[in-house]
Amino acid sequence: MIVSSGRAAPYEAIISARLAPIIALKNIVKSYTMGGVEVHAIRGISLIVEKGEFVAIMGTSGSGKSTLMNIIGCLDVPSAGHYRLDGVNIRHLDDRAVSRIRNKKIGFVFQGFNLIPRMAAIQNVELPMAYAGVKPAERRRRAVVALGMVGLGDRLDHFSNELSGGQQQRVAIARAMCTNPSLILADEPTGNLDSRSSAELMSLFTGLHDQGRTIVMITHEPDIAEYASRVVVLRDGEVVSDRAQSATHAVSYELEPSARYSFGTTGDEN
Amino acid sequence: MAAAFGNLVMAIRGIGSNWLRTLLTMLGVLIGVASVIVLLAIGTGSSQSIEKSIESLGSNTLTVFSSRSSSSNGTSIRNSTLNTASVTALSNSLNDPDVKSVSPVVTTSVTATYDGSTYTTSVIGSTASYLAAENYTVSAGRSISRADVTHHAQVIDIGTSVASALFATGSDPLGKQIQLGSSEFTVVGLLASKGSSGLSNEDAVAIAPYTAVQDQLTGESQSFSELLVQGKSSSTLSLAESEVESTLASLNDTTVANLPFTVIDSASLLSTATSSSKTFTALLGWVAAVSLLVGAIGVMNIMLVTVTERTREIGIRKAIGARKGVILTQFLIESTVISFLGGICGALAGILVSRFKIDGVTPVLASYSIPLALGVAISVGIVAGFYPAHRAASLRPIDALRYE
Repeated sequence: MIVSSGRAAPYEAIISARLAPIIALKNIVKSYTMGGVEVHAIRGISLIVEKGEFVAIMGTSGSGKSTLMNIIGCLDVPSAGHYRLDGVNIRHLDDRAVSRIRNKKIGFVFQGFNLIPRMAAIQNVELPMAYAGVKPAERRRRAVVALGMVGLGDRLDHFSNELSGGQQQRVAIARAMCTNPSLILADEPTGNLDSRSSAELMSLFTGLHDQGRTIVMITHEPDIAEYASRVVVLRDGEVVSDRAQSATHAVSYELEPSARYSFGTTGDEN
Repeated sequence: MAAAFGNLVMAIRGIGSNWLRTLLTMLGVLIGVASVIVLLAIGTGSSQSIEKSIESLGSNTLTVFSSRSSSSNGTSIRNSTLNTASVTALSNSLNDPDVKSVSPVVTTSVTATYDGSTYTTSVIGSTASYLAAENYTVSAGRSISRADVTHHAQVIDIGTSVASALFATGSDPLGKQIQLGSSEFTVVGLLASKGSSGLSNEDAVAIAPYTAVQDQLTGESQSFSELLVQGKSSSTLSLAESEVESTLASLNDTTVANLPFTVIDSASLLSTATSSSKTFTALLGWVAAVSLLVGAIGVMNIMLVTVTERTREIGIRKAIGARKGVILTQFLIESTVISFLGGICGALAGILVSRFKIDGVTPVLASYSIPLALGVAISVGIVAGFYPAHRAASLRPIDALRYE
């Protein structure tokens, strides 16, 4: 579908953006040298993720799933191959443009939560909107809504050391979705959580998926992958299995009324 | 604007994360800035006091000393004293058209006594012209006169320090007889205060006719310790100087080069003292600059530590969309705020310390020192913060996020 032919004409870009899949990876290769030995982390992966999919990427440690996640998240660049995120060719973008893409198109949820420790929950959620140039009042309003949506409406001013792991991860989800990104990218989101918190978190993801959001989740736990609508399995840097599934655990999370609130336009106010 | 403000808020929050460390870093800048201000104030204060004391020596004056050195060919010079003949020769307006007055000076130090109070003062024996040449004015009574000199009159004009030491407040010293050594002098005038300069107390002085001082106190009647020559104007002072030198040379049958006297011009004394005190101030400034540099290294060190410590945070910020410029600005603002606050506190401390007398010198705040020190402190913050900030901003998000 996507034929990369250098710089696209404007109308072509618009058309391709409208019809483009969220993620289009074509023959992605990533290798690096580690202690003088060349390591091929990814050996040619092609993958299309359409809008609204909930994809779990599985694999054992060393399968290349983290490297793939870093490439999808624009935190790392592939050694070879083409990557279009929401129709935009990521190659050759400068720091400013990549930052913008990370800010507007991707919402990250990390295994280690990665909240900024000296900031309250609401400030953490506001931060990506601050980088997007959203005005303070609007920023706060949206952060309150997002935190309400993940069930932390009463924990706005708590710092991360005052929150449980599950709560911290929910703050991270609020932070990830408040800029209305095209893609929510979760790297082992339940890796540091107990099973109860994991289940809560996964219902939250299911809810977001039901709202039509695109989610890509890296995990090595089969029961977590069950929540996804599609499971991609990697081994030694290659896709060995890619199947759709009906989400067995799809018990709808009881969202709070405010959660139904639409975030409206994207955060661009620059 | 709002983004810049947000950055500032973030930076201050960053600074607040480790108060003790931030305070210690600020202390480095504070000490640097304060020492620049204080040391420059000491330099300025001492040079002002030197200038003031030299100015009080008198304006447009030349001082002629007898230099006891022999001539260059080794033969000693005869008749090399300053005496009445010298005064007469120098007062001749044909030879010395640019000389306004010549005052012979004999000085001694005696203990003055009045009604049980004693005070050790320097007594200057001279003529009425001495007061004008040395910028003394009489605030009450009269000056010593030409007639007093002629009649060897035991009259005296006393400075305010002498008057207050000898006489009770409220009592009028005029007409009172004070005991100088074994003789009695009548106070005829009070000298207006010239104020105390750093070098000597210009008010601890008593001026009497030189004839009476020679008779009663020094016993010397042939020579004067110095001659005070007042020029007609400051512009012709150097002309007056050469006239004085040639007159004295011909009077003593010698050449100007072999003149057994030294002629010192108060202006040249002033410029020598001023330039040496400027050197002194500059030296103090450099010492202070070193401490400011040490403060700068402290800021840089702390910023480097902060960057390392917050590598993960930088990774998170980058992952959620912070541009390189935003990270750079955040850390630059942090270091600038530290230096700026340190600088402000340092300036206040410097101003405060400069209010006290230090080692006998009254510091005088140099108007340029505060903007200078603050400007340097802020530039130091920016420069010292730049490398760490750049390092932080250039981190790859993937490496920063992996950092433990």
